[in-house]
Amino acid sequence: MPLRTFASSDERVIAGVCAGIARTLAVDVTLVRLVFALLALAGGAGILLYLALWAWARGKRVWIAGLLALVAGAALLGALGLSDQSVVGIALIAGGLALAWRQGGSFRADAPLSYWGLALAALGAVTLLSGGGTSSTLLAPGAVVGALLLIGGPWVWRLAIDRDVERTARIRSEERSDMAARVHDSVLQTLALIQRHAEEPRRVASLARRQERELRGWLYGDQPLGDVNASLNAALSAAAGDVEELHGVRVELASAGDCPVDTSVGALVLAAREAMTNAAKFAGVEEINVYAEVADDAVSVFVRDRGAGFDRAAVPADRRGIVESIEGRMERAGGRATIETSPGGGTEVELHLPRRPS
Amino acid sequence: MKRRVVLVDDHDLFLAGVRAELGDAVEVVGHAGTIADAVPLITELDPDVVLLDVHLPDGSGDAIINAVAADRPGVRFLALSVSDAAEDVIAVIRAGARGYVTKTISGPELAAAIECVATGDAVFSPRLAGFVLDAFRAGEQVGGDTELDELTPREREVLQLIARGYMYKEIAARLHLSVKTVESHVSSVLRKLQLSTRHELARWATQHRLV
Repeated sequence: MPLRTFASSDERVIAGVCAGIARTLAVDVTLVRLVFALLALAGGAGILLYLALWAWARGKRVWIAGLLALVAGAALLGALGLSDQSVVGIALIAGGLALAWRQGGSFRADAPLSYWGLALAALGAVTLLSGGGTSSTLLAPGAVVGALLLIGGPWVWRLAIDRDVERTARIRSEERSDMAARVHDSVLQTLALIQRHAEEPRRVASLARRQERELRGWLYGDQPLGDVNASLNAALSAAAGDVEELHGVRVELASAGDCPVDTSVGALVLAAREAMTNAAKFAGVEEINVYAEVADDAVSVFVRDRGAGFDRAAVPADRRGIVESIEGRMERAGGRATIETSPGGGTEVELHLPRRPS
Repeated sequence: MKRRVVLVDDHDLFLAGVRAELGDAVEVVGHAGTIADAVPLITELDPDVVLLDVHLPDGSGDAIINAVAADRPGVRFLALSVSDAAEDVIAVIRAGARGYVTKTISGPELAAAIECVATGDAVFSPRLAGFVLDAFRAGEQVGGDTELDELTPREREVLQLIARGYMYKEIAARLHLSVKTVESHVSSVLRKLQLSTRHELARWATQHRLV
């Protein structure tokens, strides 16, 4: 009850009711006093209302306050020229509503409706209807509808709010358990692994890198954790993670554009993985750069290291890695692999796959 | 002369790590953990370079650039972030940062990046180069200033090599250009990235403001 914030002594003229209202509604106090003065002219309603609010604000004589307010309302209606019977009817409706609100109370969905209050309001409506006169025939149906809305409305409204709150809470708890499950499956497992492998810095670094990559993909990308075949970038990221974990290197992945993984793009990813593995095993470097570019007519992947490099002519013919896993695979998929290397000059494998216009 | 650097990051552990890794390469003159602390600090110290985290407790790093740039036009900003979200990166660059590197960068590389930014050049990580190539995809017609909205074939070539992991020196050798020319191509791309009204960039900026 906001009105209980009484006006301080320097603001008040009589009991501080006007100042209290003004502060509660954030309007000028002069305006409130003017309204009360005008109401006081209407059969003394203003004075009675003032007393009622004062009693209410004191918080002790709620019944007195209610009755005073009713009488004040009646005086006002009388002053407006309504018949006595109409005034009594409206007073009964108001009283009934007050009762229903008091017991039905505080907008709680499970709070019981007051049948006494409803009965009283109904009685008021009947009195009003049977009162005759043009003003009451106009007023009555509106009053009844208004009464029903006032009694039932808050209850229905509260019910809707409760359902919304419930749904929000359920969604939030589902999100939380989803998050908990993901964190458990990935982050906590990795942290456990890191503790067990604390003596092997390379392994710890690669575990941390892999976890970082996964978490990033989930937080910033739209790829679900674990679904490595969602897109070219997701698949390359997963392959890079595997290579990092197996060989303790760092794979820096960059991309422009993305595309779905079909059979030939799948072959491209496998070839890229083989190129990363070769770099990790033979180049003797800590970092490998991988760049994927998806254009309208082709997909290109570059795997580069600044490592040892090699002499193509000196590679034994039975070393199947490059010939089979990279070049052969790309040719079967309808693309090609170009390997640029020299001893001491690093290696760059370019994988090129034409795309059929879709 | 050593470059005077201010670090802005709210992770103490990371700050300590960066200080240790940079060692004597630069002079770290101050650090701050929030936008509110950083703005007066940078204005007072007037450093050569500010290493700026994209995400701070009281907002996003571009707010610092916007607040400081008018008073201290000589201060260069290098964004340093773990975030891969394109909109974050693009937002700080468009606010005026001269480059973006990821937090996994090694100490010597970071020192080189600071030097590069301090001399007025731009620093693109491979990942940022990828973003930019994607945003300035060829063949898409856009309205507005075409000079700013398109990359030249040469700029595209340079960016692609950055994305593939080449350093400026290596790019220069490969394209038979001088290092200075490569740097000026990158600076030109940075300018386009900051000023272009391309749809993708505008969209990123909008999304960033909405978040």
